[in-house]
Amino acid sequence: MIIDIATDGGFGGIAAAAMHKRINPQEQAQALRDALCAAFAPKALQQMTQGRSHDCPDGLRYRITIIQSGQDPCIFTLSEAQMPPEMLDLIDSV
Amino acid sequence: MCLSLSCSHHNPIACIVPPYMLRVLALRGDPATAEMARTLLRHDEEIRAERASHASPPPPLSEGFAGLLPLPAVDPDLCCADRRIHDGQFRAALPGNLVRSEGDSPCGIPDADLAYDSAGQVFSLFAEEYGRNSLDGRGMPLVATVQHRRNYNNAFWNGEQMAYGTGDGKIFRTFLELSVIGHEMAHGVIQHSGGLIYENQSGALNESIADVFGALSQQRALRQEVHQADWLVGRGILGPGINGVALRSMKAPGTAYSDDLLGRDPQPWHMDHFVTTTDDNGGVHINSGIPNHAFYLFCNYLGGRSWELPGQIWYRALQDLNNPMASFSDWADQTLRTASALTGQGSLEGQMLRRAWKLVGINV
Repeated sequence: MIIDIATDGGFGGIAAAAMHKRINPQEQAQALRDALCAAFAPKALQQMTQGRSHDCPDGLRYRITIIQSGQDPCIFTLSEAQMPPEMLDLIDSV
Repeated sequence: MCLSLSCSHHNPIACIVPPYMLRVLALRGDPATAEMARTLLRHDEEIRAERASHASPPPPLSEGFAGLLPLPAVDPDLCCADRRIHDGQFRAALPGNLVRSEGDSPCGIPDADLAYDSAGQVFSLFAEEYGRNSLDGRGMPLVATVQHRRNYNNAFWNGEQMAYGTGDGKIFRTFLELSVIGHEMAHGVIQHSGGLIYENQSGALNESIADVFGALSQQRALRQEVHQADWLVGRGILGPGINGVALRSMKAPGTAYSDDLLGRDPQPWHMDHFVTTTDDNGGVHINSGIPNHAFYLFCNYLGGRSWELPGQIWYRALQDLNNPMASFSDWADQTLRTASALTGQGSLEGQMLRRAWKLVGINV
């Protein structure tokens, strides 16, 4: 499983300032690996997309691509408000 | 196809509601209505195919379609700010740990104390110049979180509070600058003044009006007249290695930065260079340069203090607009109507305003 995370939006609206991370959970320590796999499971992400969504002024949007071998990539677009704070902390920590 | 709404047995909206109207309802409706609208918008893709087979141009908003949220009158209890500053402790949970409430002594966390003082200055602008009691006109607490998340290159208004990252030290070094703070708080004022849908031209207006009141907050705090101000939004917030002075310039859109990492400031100053894009909600931070520049030009024609007559016109126009989907032309029209109401039909100020709009390519 590969997790690709890209942002757009924000106060500056500057594409070049956007975040982009590509994470291979297999390369992380066990605890972090487990947390990543749980947080970024496609089912969990799909559930988040059902949550309250609004484009808050200057808010970031996250485009999360989950790449699993033998399967088509799954792409989810989430506003910052739709993502649990623990998940955002996880992203910040990697 | 009619959509039944499970939240109500009797709901006046029983047939297909166009997305633009759902967005207005999501923006202005009571909590139940807003949630209904958001649910329907999420399902929009699923029903679009079937809707397309019954497609017809969306009806114009009738005069009977008034905003669901009445605009507040001046609050007779207008007095003082109710500031509540929190330390996010570099985590994402909001609002975080309350470190300074209204009337408290400085807490010793520089970001929190700066946010406290600046929020007070923005409150004072709206209260003393425009008679507005806080962001909602009803004295709502000013909730802010500083040190939000780790190395967070952003600041935002989430509908209920402001949040400020510290930046990563490379691209941004801070977001606690008065024009930025005024900008975020002004988003709250806009939300509680009828709203402007955050995409395309209405979104760019949302951004521009926030920049205007951010700039006015700064100029008023520094007691700067029009020609003394630098008209920059976010001066000094860029990282030390970034080639730029600010995030945006109202005086010279497109010149705030030019950097190998960030690229060049993409803001246009004229409709001829309007940027059509799907990025950034349709370029809301880009095309805001056009109405920003119109405001700057108007202020320069008049001279004096930008937060006085120009600020009054912009503030009152926002209160009177009642059009969350307003285009630049709609907004320009509204500012002219407001200017006429304040200064008289055919006034010199009105003529200068019309000229400012014309110079950015908007003929009204």
